[in-house]
Amino acid sequence: MRLNAKDIASGVLLITIALLGLYFNLDHPIGSARRMGPGYMPMLTFILLGGLGAAVLFIGLANGPDPLEKWAWREFVLILAAMAIFGLLLERIGFALAIVATVGISALADRTQTIRGTIGCIIFLIVLCWMVFIWGLDIRVPFLPPFLGYY
Amino acid sequence: MIDNLILGFGVALSLKNVAFAFLGCMIGTAIGVLPGIGPVATISLLLPLTFGVDPVTAIIMLAGIYYGAQYGGSTTAILLNLPGEVSSVVTTLEGYKMARRGRAGAALTIAALGSFFAGSVSTLVVAASGPLLTSVALSFGPADYFSLMLLGLIISAVLAQGSVLKSVAMVVLGVALGLVGTDVQTGQQRFTFGIPELSDGIEFVALAMGIFGIAEIILNLEKPENRDVSVAKVTSLWLTREEARRATPSVLRGTLVGSVLGILPGGGAALSAFGSYMMERRLSKYGHEFGTGAIEGVAGPESANNAASQTSFIPLLTLGIPSNAVMALMVGALIIQGIQPGPRMVEAQPELFWGLIASMWIGNLMLLIINLPLIGMWVALLKVPYRFLYPAILIFCAIGVYSINNSAFDVYETVVFGFFGYLLAKLRFEPAPLLIGFVLGPMMEEHLRRAMLLSRGDPIVFFDRPISATLLAISALALGAMLLPTLRKRKDEALAE
Repeated sequence: MRLNAKDIASGVLLITIALLGLYFNLDHPIGSARRMGPGYMPMLTFILLGGLGAAVLFIGLANGPDPLEKWAWREFVLILAAMAIFGLLLERIGFALAIVATVGISALADRTQTIRGTIGCIIFLIVLCWMVFIWGLDIRVPFLPPFLGYY
Repeated sequence: MIDNLILGFGVALSLKNVAFAFLGCMIGTAIGVLPGIGPVATISLLLPLTFGVDPVTAIIMLAGIYYGAQYGGSTTAILLNLPGEVSSVVTTLEGYKMARRGRAGAALTIAALGSFFAGSVSTLVVAASGPLLTSVALSFGPADYFSLMLLGLIISAVLAQGSVLKSVAMVVLGVALGLVGTDVQTGQQRFTFGIPELSDGIEFVALAMGIFGIAEIILNLEKPENRDVSVAKVTSLWLTREEARRATPSVLRGTLVGSVLGILPGGGAALSAFGSYMMERRLSKYGHEFGTGAIEGVAGPESANNAASQTSFIPLLTLGIPSNAVMALMVGALIIQGIQPGPRMVEAQPELFWGLIASMWIGNLMLLIINLPLIGMWVALLKVPYRFLYPAILIFCAIGVYSINNSAFDVYETVVFGFFGYLLAKLRFEPAPLLIGFVLGPMMEEHLRRAMLLSRGDPIVFFDRPISATLLAISALALGAMLLPTLRKRKDEALAE
């Protein structure tokens, strides 16, 4: 057997998305070919997606071997977490502190990053972002923590 | 056309537009020089910043980033054997060899001059073909449009790197993501799961940033960095008479190849650079010198990739169809600005169309000046390690996507697509077709529904109309051709990094 694990996983992923899509599409009226309802195009799309997924899966049974790749979990989790925290904190503690948190967390994702480098990044980005976004573009977001009373 | 060009230059030469074109070219060159940041990520990063300016200015700047990146990419390819962009991969083959022979300056000069020449010529091609194609497109009915978009999607999938089947699946997945939101005809909420933020659909910038920006950071971090390569010394920028003589025909051929291949959906800069390299190796009298630093191998591909990056605007500006991921972002930018890209754009927004064309020429001139005398500055930029770059990219992504709707939800959306983009990369899916599918999907649905309504539900309409039938036939041929093993192999060679 020359299994292509990547393609098999890809096929399974596509088929799963297609089935979920078709399931949720049950809520939408299909209509007729002449007067298509909101569910018509999704139906076509997800059937096609499922078919393509099946084809990828089927071909993957023989065109390998191609094992799955290792995930860089550390980098992956830290970068996504840094981004999510930014969304969580921005309105609560202001732009400046959100930068501190996001850069601080994301810095852990690169093993060559140093503490001094991280602090340098934070200071540089706070100054740059203030100039570009607050002073230049004037976006409506608290820069300093709102509970301090400044805006 | 002269009148129009005068109008265009009038728009493009306004102080504001010149400043933004310059800004775009500078940013473009910078990201072109830096490996690991591409034009797609950068443009999606900067999209939110362009909302405040008027559409012409925004597009002028974004376009400058795109073709500036092609210029910048060649600098590192020649000096460091590091292609800054995919399109300059082939430049490393001869360019770096030239640099090793002590002709780094000559290689840089011919790359810049060739690009400038190619950019100027292909700008004229865009100017000439615009009104022509537009008049054709105005006779299109809904069925023809649907088939045209289908063709665009299929060709972009066929020409993408890797498995065609998986690229087609990416297109369809993109179309599926485009379905989320309120159905325009009935007002029904589709796939929004009761989340009010989703009723306007998935945020385009969040999707592009997540898949191209965030996922790319993770992918770059997991590869160990090796940028400590010795920089070749630049002595003289002047070409010898012999070099100039040899390079001239290559520049001309490269311009031609690039202008033609750039129009193809999914073609663009990378494909044309490679096509030109193959052609030079075969046609040049000095073909035997290839591999040892032949100037033809720099002049041709560099001209070609720049020509292609200009002509890839043609399908966008005349038909409203994006031919690659960057053009998909341009569609997004236009729509956000309230302009529906399509054949009526040339007439309805003449200052946009002609202003962009004029700015392309001005931009190419600027790039010549930015690149040659300032080469030392760009080399210095390379010394900035990635660990200082990615936190900045992350912050700009985050605040950029937040500022579109002042909503933290969009930031979370970006996180989700960052996850998704990484998953897709690990499974060897190409993300570009997904973005194109996402942009074209809603328009396709509209045209499909309209065509079927007009034909009373009879799908024959797509084969009845000559334009539509021809387009469908080409789509089928393009798909069929990829089933031939030899062609597929050649494509993989052409697009291999």
